[in-house]
Amino acid sequence: MTLALTHPPARIRRPLVAPLLLLGGLAALVVIGPLVIPHDPAAQDLVRTLEGPSAQHWLGTDHLGRDIAARLVHGGVRSLGIAVSCVGFATGVGVALGLVAAYAGRVADIAIMRLADLMLAFPGLLLALLISGFLGGGVLPMLIGIKLALWPQFARMARAIAIGELAQPHVEAARLAGFPALTILRRHVLPPVLRQTVTLATLGLGAAIMSISSLGFLGLGLQPPTPEWGAMISELLPYLAEAPVQMAAPCLAIFLAVLGATLLGQALAEPPALPEEM
Amino acid sequence: MSAARSSFWPGGAAGTVLRIVASRLVQAVLTALVLASLCFAFVQALPGDAALRIAAARSGDDRVTAESVARVREQEGLDRPVLAQYASWIGRLAQGDLGHSLVSRQPVWQELAEHGRFTLGLGALGWLLSYAIALPLGIACGFRPGGWLDRGTNALAVALASMPSFLVGIGLISLFALTLRWLPPAGFRTGAHMVLPALTLALGLAAFSVRIIRNAVVEVRGAFYMTFARIRGRSAGSAFLHHGVRNAAIPVATFAALQFAYVVDGFVVVETLFNYPGLGDLLVKSLLARDVPMIMGAGMVVGLMYAAVNLLADLACIGLDPRRLAGRGA
Repeated sequence: MTLALTHPPARIRRPLVAPLLLLGGLAALVVIGPLVIPHDPAAQDLVRTLEGPSAQHWLGTDHLGRDIAARLVHGGVRSLGIAVSCVGFATGVGVALGLVAAYAGRVADIAIMRLADLMLAFPGLLLALLISGFLGGGVLPMLIGIKLALWPQFARMARAIAIGELAQPHVEAARLAGFPALTILRRHVLPPVLRQTVTLATLGLGAAIMSISSLGFLGLGLQPPTPEWGAMISELLPYLAEAPVQMAAPCLAIFLAVLGATLLGQALAEPPALPEEM
Repeated sequence: MSAARSSFWPGGAAGTVLRIVASRLVQAVLTALVLASLCFAFVQALPGDAALRIAAARSGDDRVTAESVARVREQEGLDRPVLAQYASWIGRLAQGDLGHSLVSRQPVWQELAEHGRFTLGLGALGWLLSYAIALPLGIACGFRPGGWLDRGTNALAVALASMPSFLVGIGLISLFALTLRWLPPAGFRTGAHMVLPALTLALGLAAFSVRIIRNAVVEVRGAFYMTFARIRGRSAGSAFLHHGVRNAAIPVATFAALQFAYVVDGFVVVETLFNYPGLGDLLVKSLLARDVPMIMGAGMVVGLMYAAVNLLADLACIGLDPRRLAGRGA
């Protein structure tokens, strides 16, 4: 714990720089892109299908003559936005339920944790797949499916850390002094829980991006006219040999987004190195 | 808690094994129950008349008559209260009757068996291939942590882990099928058709297991009993073989079960990508066609397999680490 005290908190550590730049760059591209690229992502041009990169179409066109660059940045807003919202929701709900389970104990604890176990009994994508499939694809079913699959991890972690914190003498003292539960949780339990969840949330972001693009690829996520990275790849798949650049663009986008999230998560998980001058 | 448990469960080794089997059985039953309820709720929530829909699916949209709808309503018991329908639905499932596919009219079991064969072959080949890659590589990295092989493997593993399996597959198709023309890009007729899907699955799996194996080897090599074995005069290789392998295998076996979650994502996506007629392909196609009995059957098989693999991993851990039987392990 002395480590945390001697370490200057405001400085960004070196392993964090590359992933932050990567994610920041992608976010900037996706936000600025639609303003810079003049094409409509849905506008078809059946005369100029599967064209390679040119001055007019920077990344070429797809099988319907739509501009790949425009589709890439418009799709990115959705892919990344949905991923962030899923992870944000899962973190919020998971941490809240984990804290309730840890503080209340007894029935609440058992009920919440059994519910989490139930969700974790479904491997990987299966739950999101079933819910998206049942509700007919589209944004909302996918959001529900991915959130349902994500929150239990956060709840488990939050509960485990909270139980440890609640057993600390200073928390017991606060309880004895008669502070309300919410104050104790906010002051003494939430900060350490959040410190640990940041890592999990960052890694979850990568997982969410993969799930969203996988569902899109399977035709169960965002529906085809909407540009989405996974759906773009599945649409371009029959033209893989004719349109390698067009295919490489969404592939690279997914890869870089997940890589950025993974590296950031790993960097956050590592304990901060001792400062040189010590 | 533990006092109550020990009075209920027989103590000792048999009790531990029994408790593990029981908890996984509960997991399996709950998974099946949730799936069945989800499917039932979905059918109930569909807008319109269910009897009309089923009649239309059976005879074609333009040949539906009032009589055929009434017949379906009576046959399927759709005029009874919802709770009674739910009870009979669960009852039929408990007897192993999964019904017929709405699309092919075949019994669900038959379709599952046909497609399951393909998935089992692909899964087994992918699994074997992944450990054929990850075991030697992970052990080699573990023997020289921080070396060039270790750093290169780590970078490659992080990159592979950052790709959904369809990216890996598309990369392999571009390289081996389109550029080199060594292997067919999709299909299932010959053994050559299985190479690319299995390799896609294997690379995705190996990206994770190689790190687990490497870390297990590093940890075991730093353990005190290894130093002691070296002091007693065993060579590094012999000490690892006699004292290291078994200890290193414990985290690897646990992880093998966790990996099944990845295999599920993997084979659903990989089978769709390679147009390979396994369970994942069946699941996606029935989801797209809203073929509820088929969806439930495929989902249930996958869920139950997950529970079974978890159980196998738990038992493998006990086999490798008998300390757990005494209750001293985690």
